[in-house]
Order: sequence, then structure tokens, then C-alpha cells
Amino acid sequence: MTQTPTIGALFIKAVVLLIAAGLLFAPFLFQDVRALEVAARICVFIVLVASYDLLIGYTGIVSFAHTMFFGFGAYGAAIALKQIGNSWGAITLGTLAGMALSLVLAVAIGLLSLRVKAIFFAMITLAAASVALVLASQLNTITGGEDGITYRVPDLFKPSTKLFTDEAGKVVQIGGVKLNGKLAAYYFVFATSLALFIVMLRMVGSPLGTVLKAIRENEARAEAIGYRVVAYRTFVFCIAALVASIAGSIYAVWLKYTGPDTALSFAIMIDILLMVVIGGMGTMWGAVIGAVLMVMAQYYLRDLMSVAAEATAGIPLLPHLLEPDRWLFWLGIIFILLVYFFPKGIAGTIMDKGRRT
Amino acid sequence: MTQPSLVTEDLTIRFGGHVAVNKVSTAFRPGELTVIVGPNGAGKTTYFNLISGQLSASEGRVIKDGIDLTGMSPSARAHHGIGRAFQLTNLFPKLSVLENIRLAVQAQSGDGWRIWRAAAGFSELTARAERYLEATRLNAVAHQPAAALPHGDQRKLEVALLMAMEPDIYMFDEPTAGMSLDHAPDVLDLIAGIKTDPTKTVLLVEHKMDVVRALADRIIVLHNGELLADGAPDEIMSSQIVRDVYLGKSGVSA
Repeated sequence: MTQTPTIGALFIKAVVLLIAAGLLFAPFLFQDVRALEVAARICVFIVLVASYDLLIGYTGIVSFAHTMFFGFGAYGAAIALKQIGNSWGAITLGTLAGMALSLVLAVAIGLLSLRVKAIFFAMITLAAASVALVLASQLNTITGGEDGITYRVPDLFKPSTKLFTDEAGKVVQIGGVKLNGKLAAYYFVFATSLALFIVMLRMVGSPLGTVLKAIRENEARAEAIGYRVVAYRTFVFCIAALVASIAGSIYAVWLKYTGPDTALSFAIMIDILLMVVIGGMGTMWGAVIGAVLMVMAQYYLRDLMSVAAEATAGIPLLPHLLEPDRWLFWLGIIFILLVYFFPKGIAGTIMDKGRRT
Repeated sequence: MTQPSLVTEDLTIRFGGHVAVNKVSTAFRPGELTVIVGPNGAGKTTYFNLISGQLSASEGRVIKDGIDLTGMSPSARAHHGIGRAFQLTNLFPKLSVLENIRLAVQAQSGDGWRIWRAAAGFSELTARAERYLEATRLNAVAHQPAAALPHGDQRKLEVALLMAMEPDIYMFDEPTAGMSLDHAPDVLDLIAGIKTDPTKTVLLVEHKMDVVRALADRIIVLHNGELLADGAPDEIMSSQIVRDVYLGKSGVSA
């Protein structure tokens, strides 16, 4: 008695596999610095969005503190690298410190407020996140304030590091790609993100995942058949916070810079929300698709528009509308259209298609 | 006589000035099916909520097999063997029928905290869920979302969830409400089946007098939150006080 997957679900899984392959070979497929930045950001945001989906999509918890946990991880790694030096020990220590802080806050917020109504919980997370943001910009001596912190990362990740050398002592190239520290850093980001994503994928398919869905669907009945709803909610809130925190640490190592704009701002929270809505709530695949589309749009929509503006140079009005500076306007229109035509998000809507009964 | 499995002592709840359940003291025994009757607003469902924990008592106690459940959450009471089906259909609407039942089985097994192995791999849970699927004759719709079922099947699923909890105390709140005449007997047969197990205690809120007559070992009457009468079916059915309550001629107050 197994349920046959829909054609749409198979299609989405195929797309996700393609994306995974694309990210795996990204340094070889897209050989420029910016493309690698985009690929690394996509990896980190897939993890961040998927962990947020554990809350909002699987369990029905609305939190605005997800960037706070991301920020704890990022600042943890950043401060450790700055203060202790560019060692692996510093990364480990910073990551663990970020996770510990995230865990303590997640337990506290969870136990104190997951009993109350969803709206109050959302407000409390918003307040906590605001406090974290203010603290990060006020505690100049530790966090670097608005300017953030720049630091060096382990030598393995330096662009000048040669992973393999030939007889002449030059760095080995494969398909024109230098096997240098930058490549190592990318694969560090890729492998950690993949591992975290697989852990979450296992979780949502486990008995725990079924309980989370039950809580989302009908909290009172889940309690009545014997699930301690508050305990499950607090647990998943902690897991999501820990994953976000690790994602923050990875991103800090990749960027070699951590500041409010890259790790803590509410703009990131809004990005996460948009990604989860566009991709589709309640499915891990949605996180992948949402993160890919959104990050790509943020990086390439302007380029695409300037090409379009040039191509339409002879036509009245159009070039003005397609002015690259108006990219946010077009992004907004794309969002509205997506939400209209894909009410359950791209993955959610497509996966419902072709249901075979 | 066997020891009571479930006892309520002076069980009371007030909402502001309104006393919805007022000092209800009674005991229920294994192997006994008690039907709780009373007009609308008598406090039958509220009394159920106090036993299964959806509401907390203002006064009084709920005791099961000597353990005081009064301060416990609904989930803790479920683990102590209190099972409850709801009057208004109360399912996991987007999950399939089989998933609904498996959740109830899994809640009992304690596997909800397993976070690594795939849920589908817990074949013993699935096998148990399928047993209740068959018992309630829902096999044909096993993979449909609960929300897509016709009302009668949703009521059956409600009963299946309760059975899958494998409780000691079965509480049914108008299990056949809104069901067609073809479907109601299925549910009543299930309840009659549970009744044959001498270790199980069954509480049933029901209005339909033919159902009451067919199933009841004992009837208690609630009126304005108070326990008005308690006795064998024949005795209660023929008593003047019950007729008065149902016909609205009660002198207690309307």
C-alpha cells in the first residue's frame, strides 16, 4: 500500500537534482567570480530557507527571529576568527558558541511563548530579533558595529593556496579551473550545506515529521491523541535555530566579512519569507527552488534588464521601463504573478499536478 | 462488582458566573457502557472535555485507576489511557486517511521522537494502522486526504483514530451525528465490538433513543450541569424526571 507520487512531484524532484548537479559543478560550469558568489549564497540560503520551512511550513510556527540565529552563527565564527586567528579551531569554537547561544535563546523563547497564540509568539520573536540587531550595531568593540568585521580564514581557503601543484610548482588546472583555495572554500560551503539539507530531509520524512504536520493541521487533536504539542514545537524551533546558526557560520567563513547587512538585517528575514512562499511551504524541495530563483533574481535581474533595455532602445517607453535601476519594481511584479499563479508556491503547486488516484 | 476505572469527584467548571458542570461525582467500570443523555446545553460535552483535558476543572478531580489526572494536559491523559472522539469532526484534514490513523498509533508507541528513520519504514505501525483501517472499512479511501471524504466516512475515521489510540476509556461524543441511516450501523457495530471487551470502559453521549436502548448498560442524565439521574436503562427511560427534562417541563429552571 504505497502512494504513487504525482507526475508534478517527479518533475520537481528532477529539477532539484539538476540544481544539485549545477551547484556541485558550479565552479567548472560558470567560471567567473560573481557566479561562484551566487552559487555559494544559494547553498547557504537553501539551508536557511529549508530550516525556516521546518517552522512555518511543517509545523505552522511563524517566527521573525530566524536571521537572529543565522546572525549568532555568523558573528560567532567572525568574532572567533578575528580574536583567535585564522585557525580551524577558531571556526569550530565560534560555530559552537553561536549554536550554544542560539540553543539557549530558542529554548527560552520556545518554552516561554510557544504555548501562547501564534501572533504573540511572532511578536516576541520580532522583539528578540530587534534587540539582537541593536546589540550587534551598538557593541562596537566586539561586533564592529555597523561596519561589521573583516577577518582572515584558514590558509586552505586563501585564493593563493595551491591544492595541487604540477612539476613546475604551478597550481593544477582542470578544464581551465585552478584548484586553489577559493575552490576549497566553495566545496566547504557546498558539502556542509548538502549535509545539513539531507539531515532536514530525513527529519521531515521521519515519524517526527509526521507529528509536525499533524500539529500544523490540527493542534488540539494532535494533543488529544497524545502528542505533547509544546514539547514538539520547542524541539523543532531549537533544531531550526541550530541549523540556521550553522548556516550563518558557514556563510561567515565564505564571505570573510560579517556585518548587520550580511547576517542580521530584517531584509534577510524578508528574503527568507519570500523564498519560502515562492518555493512552496511544507516541502523541502520548495526551499531549494525558492532560494535559487530569488538569489538569481537578486544578482542577475539587473543584467537581464540592461540587455533588454538595449535591445528595445528603438522603441518608445519600453527602454525606460526596462531601465536596470527599476529592477526591484519588476521583481515585485514577478512576485505578485508567482503568488497569483502558484498559490502554494512553485514546488507546492506543481507537485499537486497530475495526481494519480 | 469490578473496581471503577474512571472516577469523577465533584467535577465542576465555571465560566464566569455560569456553572457548566456542577459537582458531578460518579464512577465508570470496565466492561460497562454508560450513555450520557441530557438536553442541549446540559454540559455533556463540557463534562467530556473535563475528563479528556481540553478544559481544566475549577473544582473536583478526575481519577483513572487510582491516578489523579486533574492537572494533566490532554496528551498526558491520552498516555494514561483516556481516548476521546469528538462531536464535530476533528481530523488532520490534508493528511491521508492512513496517515491520520498512523499518527494515532504512533502516539501510543512513543515513536514520535524518532527523527532519523523514514516514517514509512516503521512497518509495524503501518500494519497496526491498517488493522483499524480495515475495522472501520476505510481501505478504499486509505490514500485520500481526510478532508475529501464524505461526512459519513469522516465520522468513521474519527472513530478509527480513537480505536487506534487503544485506550482503556473510550469516549464517544455523538458518534453518529449527521450520518445517514446506511452508515450509522457501521459505527454502532464498532462500538458494540469494543463493548464486548471486559477490560474497556465506554462512555457515550447520544441522543438517538434506539441507539441508547441497543447499547447502554447504564444511563446517566445530565441537566444544567448537574447529575440528575443514574441507573439501568429501563429504569431511566421510564422515569418521570427524564421525561420532564426532555420535554422541557423541568422544575429545576429552564
